[in-house]
Amino acid sequence: MSFLDRLRSSDADSVPATGLPSRALLWLVGSFALLLTPQWDRLPLWLIAACAVLASWRWLAQYGRVRLPGRWLKTGIMLILISVYAATVQGRFTVDTAASFFVLAVGLKWLETRTVRDFYVLFFILVYLATVNFLFHQEILWALVTFTGVALLLVGLQVLNAPELPAGMTSGWRRLGGLFLKTLPVVVLLFVFFPRMSPLWSVPLVSGEARTGISDTMRPGDISSLAQSSERAFRVTFGGEIPPYRDRYWRGLILDYLDGETWRQGQTEGFRPLGRVAVDGGVGPLESEEYDVLLEPTDQRWAFALENSRAVSDNVAEEMADLFRFRRPADSPVRYRLALEEDADSAEQARGADLRRYLQLPREGNPRARALAGELRRSMSDDQLIRSLMARFREQAYYYTLRPPAMPDNGIDTLLFDEKRGFCAHYAGATTFVLRAAGIPARVVVGYQGGEPGAGGDYLIVRQYDAHAWVEAYLDGRGWVRVDPTAAIAPERIESGLREAVAEEGSFLENDWASPQRYTDVPLVQWASLQLDRINYQWQRWVVGYQGQSQMDLMSRLPGGFGMRELGYLTAGIVGAGLLIAGLISALQMRRGERRDAFRRVVDTWHRLCATAGVPVRHGETPSVLASRLAKAEPAAADSARLFARMVNSHYYSAGKENDSGYQLKRMRRLLATMKRQLRRSNSRTGRRRD
Amino acid sequence: MKNLFRNRWHRWINRRIPRSDLQSFSQKNIFILPTGAGAVFGLLLFIMLLTGINYQNSLIYLSTFLLGAVFVGAMHQTHRNLSGLELTLVQPGEGFAGDDIPFRFRLKAGRDDAIAIMLSSEELGHAPVHVHSRQAQDVSLTVHSAHRGYLRPDRIRIETRFPFGLLKAWSWIRPVSAGVVFPRPVPAPEAFSTVEDGEESAEARSVDGNDHADIRPWREGDLSQRVLWKRFARTGQMVVADWEGEQGSPHWLDFNAYPGADHELRLSYLAFLVKERGRSGARFGLNLPGQIIEPDSGPAHVSRCLRVLATWGEERPRDAKAETHGTRRRRSGRSSQVIAEGQV
Repeated sequence: MSFLDRLRSSDADSVPATGLPSRALLWLVGSFALLLTPQWDRLPLWLIAACAVLASWRWLAQYGRVRLPGRWLKTGIMLILISVYAATVQGRFTVDTAASFFVLAVGLKWLETRTVRDFYVLFFILVYLATVNFLFHQEILWALVTFTGVALLLVGLQVLNAPELPAGMTSGWRRLGGLFLKTLPVVVLLFVFFPRMSPLWSVPLVSGEARTGISDTMRPGDISSLAQSSERAFRVTFGGEIPPYRDRYWRGLILDYLDGETWRQGQTEGFRPLGRVAVDGGVGPLESEEYDVLLEPTDQRWAFALENSRAVSDNVAEEMADLFRFRRPADSPVRYRLALEEDADSAEQARGADLRRYLQLPREGNPRARALAGELRRSMSDDQLIRSLMARFREQAYYYTLRPPAMPDNGIDTLLFDEKRGFCAHYAGATTFVLRAAGIPARVVVGYQGGEPGAGGDYLIVRQYDAHAWVEAYLDGRGWVRVDPTAAIAPERIESGLREAVAEEGSFLENDWASPQRYTDVPLVQWASLQLDRINYQWQRWVVGYQGQSQMDLMSRLPGGFGMRELGYLTAGIVGAGLLIAGLISALQMRRGERRDAFRRVVDTWHRLCATAGVPVRHGETPSVLASRLAKAEPAAADSARLFARMVNSHYYSAGKENDSGYQLKRMRRLLATMKRQLRRSNSRTGRRRD
Repeated sequence: MKNLFRNRWHRWINRRIPRSDLQSFSQKNIFILPTGAGAVFGLLLFIMLLTGINYQNSLIYLSTFLLGAVFVGAMHQTHRNLSGLELTLVQPGEGFAGDDIPFRFRLKAGRDDAIAIMLSSEELGHAPVHVHSRQAQDVSLTVHSAHRGYLRPDRIRIETRFPFGLLKAWSWIRPVSAGVVFPRPVPAPEAFSTVEDGEESAEARSVDGNDHADIRPWREGDLSQRVLWKRFARTGQMVVADWEGEQGSPHWLDFNAYPGADHELRLSYLAFLVKERGRSGARFGLNLPGQIIEPDSGPAHVSRCLRVLATWGEERPRDAKAETHGTRRRRSGRSSQVIAEGQV
């Protein structure tokens, strides 16, 4: 650490307090602020406040306004913050809480950043904080923010290492930029070719907080609150035609057990140990029947799919009832690929035992709905029954509304016969109830319906407000058939989306002021938001989503078989070649630096000439000494040699030579030519004499 | 074992870096290694890579590669920071034993800026300096001295950790020129010179050194030699120059005046006296076995005397001693190469 001591004593006058240059610390503080922003929605408020206070404390201490806390105070602050943290997380251990603790640790470190060594420690943990950021946010904007934060850190290090360098900041940025540009090709190559292994061990990233999205229970009113969110649920690219709006039913999960007012899943999905499975979403160009979904994190294993789909990519599998499940929860954006099939399930025959649970109803409640079912049952076949129920929804004055009234007791009866105002969840629940009461196996399906085209129109964006609930009924010989009461009540919802369906009511996104989707009448906002989405989509598909299998696919298109091992060799080769090339370039530059000096070259030629004449240059000899030796050996060239030596001297040792250096150079070259001629002539003469 | 290794290492360095007052740094003699922070940075990159693998997170991969590339880029930067730089020992220092002796070096940057360059010898260092491309800057580095004599630092280390402090590039200069360390002054006991002033010298001194003597009227018993006859001829007054010492000559600082004392101690006494005389501006001469400096005064004389005291009995360090066979062979090889080139 003697070097550090030296460093500290060297700038002791400028920073008496802590021995760190203020400007370097400023960069670190700035970077910390920047690196915290991507996490602001995730972190508890008190933690952000604590971090701000701790960093400002350190900052003020730098200027001597306050003093850094002593050991006891520091321990006290640490204990208090850690116990607040412990109270907040309540023993949950997830990556989310671990990341919060990490942030807390960074905050506390500010109080003991006194030496250069502490500065480096802080640098390292801030770099890792940037890494942690990427676990939670991978959008291009947040990525840029995080990379900028890291760049600030690197500039800070430069300032630390040369604190009193004038214009250190701008030169620091320039140096960093140059470094970045020079190494960019290697970084890109590494990114493309570095073998993507499957995880070495698996830690769930499930965060404790609730995410916006559909859930596995449905109470009347649940989905209408979801309809107030314009967050993205997923984006889809189709290999072929984009299906028409009314066919865009994205099935997510099935709720088949009515528990009082709440619909639940009858069979809980079995616990699955986290596999070390590559989250890989399929590769290559999309076939015409295929489609590619990029799902935002849900922390769930549900994958949303159109009806009659089959899995194409490895990370999803079809499970019971035509639903698709991921092999591990979607804790970060997941891309998966499915394909549409022509009526594959038509022949499917469910066994009676399986169907029985789709007839389950509570023992009591909603007598009028049961009566309606009985009445319909008496006269009609299953098919007719469903049709007449839909006709009832269509013809009577049922309203589709985001502001449904509260229906506490016998909610289904109230909805069907009194209020007649509800949202899709209400109608889906009521329809299933009536169908079951009439003896037709039925179930509630929850998912999304719709999706608006993104910029360029080549993909769909499905948002949370597209969340939807509908019904599937089992008809003998036809299997499960989709029945959507909302389509009967508010066809605009199915044809063009929620916005149109509730246009009169004016309740679309009424609580979400900041959402660009609210301002579709302002073309610029709409355009900008869609363009941004497109950039993000491409970013997530090609950069964020670049995983093992996409890499393998890319490699398989290269000539020669590329396996994991070849990739390893290739990566090693790239790194090696990169280092070698960089070394060669710098060596060449150095060489060229020497060569560029024209005078030096002329002098070298002279030395060679002298050596040919039998007067090799001695180490440390001055030009005039060499000239006089040459003159002694070759009297014919004496004058020119002396003149040349004088010129060399005057070039190297006299001032004000820059203005006519070109002319002087020319003279020296001419003189050399003369000297050469003289030497040759004298040589031939002596040669003749020898003969 | 460890010693053996270290000796080999030093021999190898010495072969790579021959003694010279001028050293220019290039691939041949620059060493570069990660610092402690650099090693931790490597570990951090590894942890980041693990995180990226486990969470299948492409952006973590990307940032790992970016930072890794920055590290490699920093390697070139740090190297270039030193490479092309010329370090010259401009002036070896002088001083008293036990002090830190300042050596003046000149740094001349090549094509690239040389930023945050540090010179150090053993434990003494210099604050980092910045030399912009094609410019020169002087740096004064203190070298610790233990005893009198020639002071030639075995190696002066030049180091830089710019830009990130994750890597250090360093080299050495092994100067030929030596500084001079004067004996540490030790207050001398009363002593008298054993050198008798000859008649002439007394006469000469009395003429041009009047101000050093008290001039008083002649008293009975004064030696006639002491009478300033010239003044008598001019003014008719009999005056006598009363020199400071009665026996021997106070002008002579004498090595032999301290019988029984160690040689080094005698030199220290003399250094003390020289320094004292120098301060009062008195005339003095120096008598060392084998070396006599005639009395004189003035700062040049003082430093000459000090230098003689410093190097008495010492041998000037020679280049040949430091050079090993390897260097010599290489040098002869180079000159033969020149000839070969010339013949082509």
